[in-house]
Parts: sequence; structure tokens; C-alpha cells
Amino acid sequence: MARTVIDPVTRIEGHLRVEVEVKDGKVVDAWSSGTLYRGMETVLLDRSPEDAFYVTQRICGVCPISHSHASAQATENALGITIPEGGRLVRNLLEAAQFLHSHILWFYQLAALDYVSPINALNADIADTYALAQAAGTRVADFGAVANRLKAFAENGQMSIFSNHYWDHPGYALPPELDLIATTHYLEALEVQAVANEIVAIIAGKFSHPMTSVPGGTAFVPTADKLDDILFRFLKVKEFVDTALIPDTLAIAPFILDATTYGGGCGNFISWGVFEKSDLVPENRYMPRGFAQGLKAEGISPDDVTEDVKHSWYSSGTGLNPSKSETQVKYEEYSTEGKYSYGKAVRAKGLPAESGPLSRMIVTYLAEAAGTDVTGGAADVRTPKMLIDSTLEALGVAGKPEVLVSLLGRVAARNLEAAYVADLALVWVNELVAALAGGEAKFWQAAEKDTGAGVGAWEAPRGSVAHWIDIKSGKIAHYGIVAPTTWDIAPRDDNDVPGPMEQALIGAPIADPERPLEALRIAHSFDP
Amino acid sequence: MAQEAHGAIYDLLAVRGVSRRDFMKYCGYVAATLGLSEAAAPQIAAAVEKGAKLKPALWLNGGSCTGCTESMAQVDTPDVATIVLELLSLNYFETIMAAAGKQAEKNIADTIAAGNYLLIYEGAVMMGEDGNTLLVNGHKGKDILEEAAAGAQAILAVGACAVDGGWIYAHPNPAGGIGVQSFLDSVKVATPVVNLPCCPTSPEWVVAMVVQWLLVAGDDPAVFLEKTALLEKKYHDTYRDADVSLLYPEYIVGSTIHDNCPRRGHFENGEFVTEFGSEEEAKGYCLYKVGCKGPQTYTQCPVTRWNRSVSWCVNSGAPCIGCGGLNWVDNNAPFFKRLSSMQMGGSLGNVQPGSVGAVVGGVAAAALVAHGLGMKATGRIGDGPPMEEMKAYDRKRMAKGGDK
Repeated sequence: MARTVIDPVTRIEGHLRVEVEVKDGKVVDAWSSGTLYRGMETVLLDRSPEDAFYVTQRICGVCPISHSHASAQATENALGITIPEGGRLVRNLLEAAQFLHSHILWFYQLAALDYVSPINALNADIADTYALAQAAGTRVADFGAVANRLKAFAENGQMSIFSNHYWDHPGYALPPELDLIATTHYLEALEVQAVANEIVAIIAGKFSHPMTSVPGGTAFVPTADKLDDILFRFLKVKEFVDTALIPDTLAIAPFILDATTYGGGCGNFISWGVFEKSDLVPENRYMPRGFAQGLKAEGISPDDVTEDVKHSWYSSGTGLNPSKSETQVKYEEYSTEGKYSYGKAVRAKGLPAESGPLSRMIVTYLAEAAGTDVTGGAADVRTPKMLIDSTLEALGVAGKPEVLVSLLGRVAARNLEAAYVADLALVWVNELVAALAGGEAKFWQAAEKDTGAGVGAWEAPRGSVAHWIDIKSGKIAHYGIVAPTTWDIAPRDDNDVPGPMEQALIGAPIADPERPLEALRIAHSFDP
Repeated sequence: MAQEAHGAIYDLLAVRGVSRRDFMKYCGYVAATLGLSEAAAPQIAAAVEKGAKLKPALWLNGGSCTGCTESMAQVDTPDVATIVLELLSLNYFETIMAAAGKQAEKNIADTIAAGNYLLIYEGAVMMGEDGNTLLVNGHKGKDILEEAAAGAQAILAVGACAVDGGWIYAHPNPAGGIGVQSFLDSVKVATPVVNLPCCPTSPEWVVAMVVQWLLVAGDDPAVFLEKTALLEKKYHDTYRDADVSLLYPEYIVGSTIHDNCPRRGHFENGEFVTEFGSEEEAKGYCLYKVGCKGPQTYTQCPVTRWNRSVSWCVNSGAPCIGCGGLNWVDNNAPFFKRLSSMQMGGSLGNVQPGSVGAVVGGVAAAALVAHGLGMKATGRIGDGPPMEEMKAYDRKRMAKGGDK
């Protein structure tokens, strides 16, 4: 049987290889492989906990804030620090800015080019483009100017980042006018994601690699002026989410409805929970901690995590909880029968588990369906259940949340989550304004001891992140990290059960094994 | 002026509705970024108008977190769309290119075959496990770099990891990450490398170098090296056990963060933040006592700032962690505590002054000696414990030859 390899999988963070076995136009087996090892957990040994805060965010230049928050929480958990209310709100805002940046960048810059052809956009009729944009309720811009710009670019003959891609693949099925709209928003999104990151820079100095959410709270002290600067930018980003990201998703969806029939994967969903309420209880976060199998809610604890290495390039112990993990690297020849990834096979309760927006939205949806008010009474917030139910209705599948467990569901869940986060951010800005006006706001709390073990389990835009730390006399004695992508691109475990992305690929149609667009779409849907 | 008299880049800008006035403003900005006088703007404009095709370039990711790519996505001088549509033909750029797999790989081969391209390298060169700690379609990352570097006109090593291995190079460097220049020395590839520091690097610096290349150097490596004010720094690569000499743009690494810090006045006045999130921070006091590495870090961060100049690390309340320095994690951690080493810029490379480790309130004051400020003598540092000649840790390290 023919093997099709995508290596490098581009438009992602990091280095990923996807290999699929195709039979009769369908994927019958799949392997996902992380092909980079950097050794961070070893580098951290004997350093100070705050050094881990700064170093671990360098795992990922796209979600550094979430890693820094997980690291800070691990230290706080280990040393018994309770962060003050001001610190909680500042961290929520910082995390929200990164989520919005990441989701917008993911949809337009990373994933859209699997569906949208800027080349076909050259065939658009400008008047029809305006009509379509109005009918779809999406953002209108100077479509003629963008078309001219694309034309000048194409006539120059150098295709730059669009070089040598299979734009003539039958999967590119949008009308040219929709291609032009989406390409226009591709260019606008570059600007908007940068505005979201200006919020990061105001709070944390810069993006990528934030400076301020140090163990104990935050080093950033907001002022009324700085909060104005932050609020104005959140409003601008929210407007783009509402007028482009959501309507574009709904406009493109009807052309790829077959993507509701494959790409679902293992059906187990993990969320550590993200966006803290005042009580700092993970199960009570705005997106709560939880686990789901077959769309049934369960609890989950960091103690439920194990990492297998039978198929990973490590010679150290297997089946260990990350609080005791070992990372003795040992490369041997790539073999899908043997070892084929630097990623470990991370498992929750022994099961492969998908992490990311689809998991969080499902866990939150199930909590809401069981009667929980996840917003804690906040007004004017579109909750995950409201967003999911209205989208299912718009796509003609009302009352069938199981449709979400698919390629299209994973794409839509990420964009709907952006709407929820954009609404919440405004709530937190207002809470912070009130706290400042009250004059009681505190932002940082010192540690009172220097020894202890703890875990920080949080969510990055792309998925579940947890850091385990053991501190002895102010120095790191052990550090274990499970990054979001580790969940999703996990290889087979010690029982040879494939990981979430591998399972999502199996069963997918491949129209042309030389041009595996469908596999690329599935890989990108995880935002690996 | 007739449209035909202009080059492709200007035509393309005109198509976008960029006016002559905006165009000159842009050239003025470019001049400032390059450290030239605004008076150079007309010269730059003339050079742009002569421009022809887009400049072919490859952006390769080694052992990276993609943070420098992300940093590039935040630029607006010009914006990313202009860079990829109208300035560079980025034939390979993993994070944003459309093609994947073998279609993507072909773009590297085609570009190398056609020649006359720039190479931008992000991330460390991965040497561990016999070079297998980074694989792209079965090829070792280091081998891909070697081939692309050999055919390039020049190389930009962007960000701390590309400069010297960055955090990956930190002790005990289990994955074998090293810098681009050090690696190219080892395989005897002599293509010139210009290093851009920090983690991530600043997108304005990358753009400045690209513009310098295209507009000032006229696409000629020899002219580029001659006309760009470059500064040499030396370090010892402990992974290879070899001395390495790096070239940096002088404008970017010619002065310390401390020199240009807007909080410098508070330092002079002895007004310090001693606790995070405090009232002193709200007043914008100096972060020296919570570990700021500004005095020993040679970059112009306070001038360029970050994210379209909205802010920068110290402005947000965090001490500089020295990510613009060599071997920045080992040399600067613990980040909130003492200075464990000093880096001196220029041809001196990375040396240890004899007075490293003087302590103020648990934070070292080594930079004071280097800057000849005599702050302790004037009593303005104030309330810390007495200064020591040298910390025990440094004595131990110095006995072993100091940081290499």
C-alpha cells in the first residue's frame, strides 16, 4: 500500500511529520511525529523557579504566555502562594489577548490556505464580491484595491510564500468572490493579530516571550491610562472576530460540509481549565477543568497523566507521571513499526486525549448543559453553549453537538471560542477598572518557603499545558512538562494505540495521494 | 514623475495607493532604523525606485520555538504583507508558506539552484544525537543549513538561538544546540553571517538589515559588509570547544539597555522597585534591585521597543533578563538575583571584570564599575548590605576561567 508523507508540515509552530497509508482513496493508517528535541527539562535542573518561568515559555513562540502561566502556577502551587485578585485579572487579560491573537492568526494565516485560494481570487468579480460579503454578513473592505494588489503580485511572477502549492487541487472549491473576501481578511488579520499582541506588549513588555506574570502574581501594575490602551484594543479585536472571523467561518462551512463526516479522532477530550475566577478553583474556571468521553463529562486530575515511550526516541522509563518523568534521549532510525517521534505518548486515565478549543468548548458545553453558569453571572457574554447551539442551527444540524467531533467541528470550535474570550476580556477590564478605583488592588505575593512540589495545569490556545515542579531549597530538583501539542500529536503508546491526530487521520478521504490536502487540513485543525 | 521611471517596488506601492508623501515618510523611517540621518531618505527612495524584482530569500527554522517568526508578524515598518508580497520573495518560510511536504522542499532546492538569495536562519543548529535532534523529511537540520548557507549571498542569524544556541545551549545543553556562525566555522562555509540578538529578535532589526542589503548595499555582499557598521564579539563555544567571532550591526548592540533606559533617572536618584507589583513600580522606578540586567546587556531595546513600539520589558515592570547577551541563560540566571557575569561589548568580546558580584540588596551592582558611575561612593545606592569584592560563586567560576 502506498505511503504518503508530509514533512515538513508547514504553517505550524515547530517541526512535524505526518505519514499516512492510503487505500482506495482513504487513510487506513497514520503516524504523527515530532522531529525536534531541545532538552528543556534537563536545562532547568538546579536553577531557580523564576528561571523556569522565563525559560519554559521558550517551548513555543506562539503560546509562550500559557507556558509562563503554567510554570508560575506550578511554583505557586509548590510554595503555597495565593496570587492576589489584581494578579488574577491581569493574567486573565494577558492570556485572553494571546488567545485572540493565536486564534485569528491560526484561522487566516495557518489554516485558511487549505480552503482559500488567493490565486482563484484573481478571477473574482468585484461587484459580486461586495454583494456576497453583504449577503454573508461579513466585513466589507476595498476589495478592488486588494484585487489590484494581488494582480500586481501575480504578474511579477514571483510567488513568494504561495510558491509551488497545488492550487489546482479540487479541494479548492470556493467561488472566486469568497476567495477574494477571505484573502482580504487574511491581510486584515495580520494587522488585527498584531493589535492583540500590542495588548500583550502593554501588559508583558513584548510578544513573543512575555516578562511579567512572574511566580506570585504579576510585575505589571496597571494604571487608568494603560487600561484605556488595553480596552480600546480589545474592542478593535472583538469587532474583527464578530465581523470577519465568525461570519467567514459560516460562509466557508457550506462548501466543506463533508468535513463533518471525518477527522473526528479519538473522541476523548481533556481540558485543564483556563481563565481564573476569584476562588482560583480549576473546576470553576470560565472554561472549567474536565474530561469527556463520548460527550459525557468526567473529572480529571494531573495525577491521571502518564507518558509512554515505546515508540518515542527515549531510553528512560515509560508509563510515568510527569512528576517523576525521565527524558534520556536516544535517537535510532525512524521506523513506524518501532520508534518514530520525539513526542512521548501522553495519556489521560490511560487513554489518548485530544486537547484544544474543541475539547474546552465540549467540556464547557457539557458543564453548561448540566446547569453550571460558567460566566459567574457576567452579563453580555456569549457562552460556549449559546455559540455552539446557534452555529449548529445555522448549519442545519440543530441539537446535534456530536457533529462537532469532526474536522469542521474542530475548525469552528476554535473560532467560536474566540468570540467567548473576546466577550470575557471586556468583563475583566471592567473588573480591573473597578478594583483600581477601589484602591485595594494587589498584584504580587511573595513566597514564604523555598521547598515543595506542585503542578500548574492550564490551557494554551492550542491545548492543555501542565508543568510539574519539585523545588528543594529554592532550586529545581525536577521539572516535567506536557505541552499542548504533546497531547495531540502523541505517537502510539505502549499498547500500540494511536494518538489523537493519528486517529483523526484514519478514515479520512485522500483524493490524490501526491497532493494530500485533506491530511494537511486535519493536521492544521489541531493547530499543532 | 512619470510612473515608468520607477522600479517594481515603487510601482507596487503605488498600486496599493501609497502616496509619494507616504513613501518618503517610509524611507525616512528606514533611514532612522538603519541609524542614518533622515537626510538619507531621498537616497533610499532613489534606491527603491531603481529596484527590480523581489529579492529571493529562504527563511529556515532550526531548533526554534517560532518566536522570531511570530515577532516578524508584529512588524509594521513595513507590514508583513508588504514584505512577502512586495519586498522579498520568501520562497521557503515554514510558518506561513502555503506549500507543505515535498512541494515545500522543492522550493528550497529551486532557490538554491537559481542562486543570488538571502538566507535567514531562526533557531539553534542542532548537533545532538549526531545531528538527529532535528529532522526534516529525514534530513538532518544541520545539513539543510549547510547546503543553503553555502549558496547564499549572506545570512541573517535571527534571535539568540541562531546567534549562539540561545537557551538550548545553556548547561548542560543535552540537545547539542549551537549558533549558526559556530556551525558554519565547523563545516568551513565562509558566507558572511550578520547576527541579530534577543529572544525573540526584533522585527525592525530584520527589516533594517534587509533594506540595508537591498537599498544601501545594492545586493552586493562586499558592499554590504563595507557599508554596514558592524561590531565583532568573540565567545568560546563550549560544545565545539572552539573560539567563535560574531558580527553584529553596531547600531543594534553598540550601547547598553541601561544607557538608553527611560528609567535611568530613577537609578541616578536611587529610586528603586524592591518588590513586584508595588507602588514604586506604578511610579516607574528603576528595576535594578529586582535583578535588571540592563547594565550588562548591549542592545537598543529601549529605542526600538517592541510590538510596533508599544512597550518593552522594563516599561511593563519586568527587569531585563539579558536575552540580548551571549549564552544568556547561563550568564544571567537567576534572573531576579545577582549578576553572575558581565559582558563587555566590542572587540573585547565577553570578559569578566574583576569586580563582578558586588551586591546591593541581594542584587549585584557590577555594572557600576564598568560604567564608572561610582554610585556606591556617592551613597546613592543606599540601603543594601555592604558590597563584596567578589561572590564565592564567582570566585569559583573565575578560578575555572570564567564564562567562556
